[in-house]
Amino acid sequence: MAWKPGGNVQTALFLIAAVAIVAFGAARSFVSMWEMDTIVPAPGFEKHMLSEWFEGIKDTPADTPVYIQEGSEPGGTVFVMGGTHPNEPASSLTAVLFLERAKVHKGRLIIVPFANIMAFTHNSPQEAHPQRISFTLPDGSLRSFRYGSRATNPIYQWPDPDVYIHPQSGQELAGSERSNLNRAHPGTPDGALTQRLAYALRQLVMAEKVDLAFDLHEASPEYPVVNAIVAHEKSMELAAMVAMELEISDIPIRLEPSPKNLRGLTHREWGDYTDTMPILMETGNPSQGRLRGRTDEDLVLTGADKYYAWAADLGLLFIPYETDQPIGLRIARHTSALMSFFDSLAFLDPSKEVVVSGIPAFGELAENGLGPYLSPLD
Amino acid sequence: MNWFWPEGLFAFLMVATFVFGAFSFKLPIAVAMSLAAVVGGLAAGEGLPVRHLVEGTFGYLDTILIIATAMIFMKVIERIGLLEAMAAWLIRKFKSSPLLLSLGIMLLIMIPGMITGSSTAAVLTTGALVAPVLMKLGVQIHKTAAAIAMGAIYGMIAPPINLPAMIIGGGIDMPYVGFGVPLLICTIPLAVVTALLLIYPGLRNKVRDEGALEGELRRMERVPITLRLFLPVAVLVVLLGGSSLFPSVFPSLGMPLEFLIASASAFLTGSRWKPVDTVTEAIDNALPVMGILMGVGMFIQVMTLTGVRGFVVVSALALPAWLLYVGIATSMPLFGAVSAFGSASVLGVPFLLALLGKNEILVGSALSLIAGLGDLMPPTALAGIFAAQVVGEENYFKVLRYCVTPAVLTALWGIAIILGAGYIAGVLY
Amino acid sequence: MIMTFIYRGIVLFVLAFVVRCMFREKDFWKQVTAALVILPLILRVLLIK
Repeated sequence: MAWKPGGNVQTALFLIAAVAIVAFGAARSFVSMWEMDTIVPAPGFEKHMLSEWFEGIKDTPADTPVYIQEGSEPGGTVFVMGGTHPNEPASSLTAVLFLERAKVHKGRLIIVPFANIMAFTHNSPQEAHPQRISFTLPDGSLRSFRYGSRATNPIYQWPDPDVYIHPQSGQELAGSERSNLNRAHPGTPDGALTQRLAYALRQLVMAEKVDLAFDLHEASPEYPVVNAIVAHEKSMELAAMVAMELEISDIPIRLEPSPKNLRGLTHREWGDYTDTMPILMETGNPSQGRLRGRTDEDLVLTGADKYYAWAADLGLLFIPYETDQPIGLRIARHTSALMSFFDSLAFLDPSKEVVVSGIPAFGELAENGLGPYLSPLD
Repeated sequence: MNWFWPEGLFAFLMVATFVFGAFSFKLPIAVAMSLAAVVGGLAAGEGLPVRHLVEGTFGYLDTILIIATAMIFMKVIERIGLLEAMAAWLIRKFKSSPLLLSLGIMLLIMIPGMITGSSTAAVLTTGALVAPVLMKLGVQIHKTAAAIAMGAIYGMIAPPINLPAMIIGGGIDMPYVGFGVPLLICTIPLAVVTALLLIYPGLRNKVRDEGALEGELRRMERVPITLRLFLPVAVLVVLLGGSSLFPSVFPSLGMPLEFLIASASAFLTGSRWKPVDTVTEAIDNALPVMGILMGVGMFIQVMTLTGVRGFVVVSALALPAWLLYVGIATSMPLFGAVSAFGSASVLGVPFLLALLGKNEILVGSALSLIAGLGDLMPPTALAGIFAAQVVGEENYFKVLRYCVTPAVLTALWGIAIILGAGYIAGVLY
Repeated sequence: MIMTFIYRGIVLFVLAFVVRCMFREKDFWKQVTAALVILPLILRVLLIK
């Protein structure tokens, strides 16, 4: 039954033409990811660029917007960073929610919604993620956001070394981890862009005397550190207060100490290299897990997946999972934990109090999803 | 909610397309694989998912650059006459002590794999170097290829560099630290047994035709072996070894650049070779495997898109405890049909998660060992097919026959290490 | 940055020879195999993906 057509210059030319057409089609799709998401900051936020804190990333693709809002009364400074891993959408979207809704009364709120903006411009090969996810607003309009990759886009930083050596500790990791912002901290002023980006973020944390710094994440439901707060020794007391308060509000959350031997992560390096109290938080995102079935926008938004339901029955998951894990719920978890941290900060030191209003409550977000709380585009 | 429908059907259609394409229509594996991906996309109602098909190939872009440049290096040292001269030298030196020679040759095969973390590199460098030696010494051709394939896989798994272990560890945020001894435990006993099984009997065989061997040796020695001739190998050893043994001081150039620099140094050996010709031949030889990896990339991306990946993974994890180990020992090598790295990533991480609570480093090491067997699994069989190629055998299945015993031992050894992880950890730490 | 530049060069080098092999190939399906390999190489040379 074998069919063995011959090949010659004509067939080769034909194939070149076919490759050109396919490459053009694919390229258009890839390039569509290069366009920035539009956000509508709430009144009071001032827009900066991260390169203002470290010249070394100016005019590079690593430079990312920083928004600062100062309350009328003095207080502490809180830094909320989303988008370390753009394939964990509840992270950047929680930051966007604060950016579009927050009114700061006391203290200062610094928000970086797209921390590794170089990872928002592509998707990881073989993960088949959607390029964008959309939310419907009450007026019927749509807001869409990119679903990116865990790693910096190779068009900015390539090739990866065979082995990535964390510069400060000498710890060896797979070479691809050099493109992972959350293995790059505390960063170096020279070297690859991701490492410089981490350095710039550390400069921001130090220069702005950030009291409490958040790095928001999501994790696979089958990963043990999920629905969790990871805290450095310095932030442990505060984190314990918050975990307890969330427990009382019926939002159970794990509390994990930052491992001392796993280097390059915010909760370890910001704690060791700056004066801030770092906190990393995780929610459960089925669309990044390895057990997921069909991968599409719907999975990202609802988290409904029959293979996860099956895995939950088998006892393989670390989050309560029945049929779904909607993004509204995941953002609600991050949001209420953040608000609880803001409240608790005043218990540790009343002069560091941060008061923020305008943020929807857990129940509202979990019930209505994110759409109703986003601002319409003009 | 049905676990099989429709993902099981998509899986069936994809596999059926692949099998029909590859075996009935005799399409190249790469083309059959891509067609299977296209069919999966169409069946799942995704139309012709061009973006996904192309994106999937990028998972192996770095790998195909390594394969292409490693093949260029191999062709270069063949063209300058180094391979034959060196093989002849080895035979003369060691043909009187078969036991040492079999173990030494096994180690030699493993070294490039240990350093590069790639079985392909092992097969194409020292594997190709010892292949003619072994055959001339009386080792049967298919056993030679099997020994090279197995040695290459053990080399890939042995420390210091083991990419599947890094991939598996990366999936649970476990740093690649402290794997040295566990990986030696995983590989050294198997390498010794395999050398004794496949190489030693052939070398002990005294009924070889010494006259013919001598004539062959003379022919092989027509390019006199000089230090200068070794330059490309020396450059490669320094570059590869330097960057993996002293990573903090040695610049990481990456394997493709290292292979190309080593190849270019052949211009200084004084031998005559035609660069354009040599590189063209190398790329022509490497194209089937490069194409296969592109097909595999498309295949995995469409599996993920359509939910077939979840179907496969959760089905494997759903096995009852006693069957879990059978599942590991069979599904990981089988999935290796789409490459050992794919197997480590898709199945290795969930299996490690299912086994949390045992010593993770030992379990991760053992899983990487079992995933490594995937490089024997057709159609990709990166270690196996290249090993068949270096001995000049067209039909890989004739080689695979001799890999079965060591492969089964490997899987059993891997499972034994997982079962005894607590005990071994107690002795080690 | 210099490494990215060198590696784009390597990709271009490999790409050129893959195209050369494709034009010399006498079997259509093997030409298709080469075409599959060309796809990602060309998009990486252009730094699109």
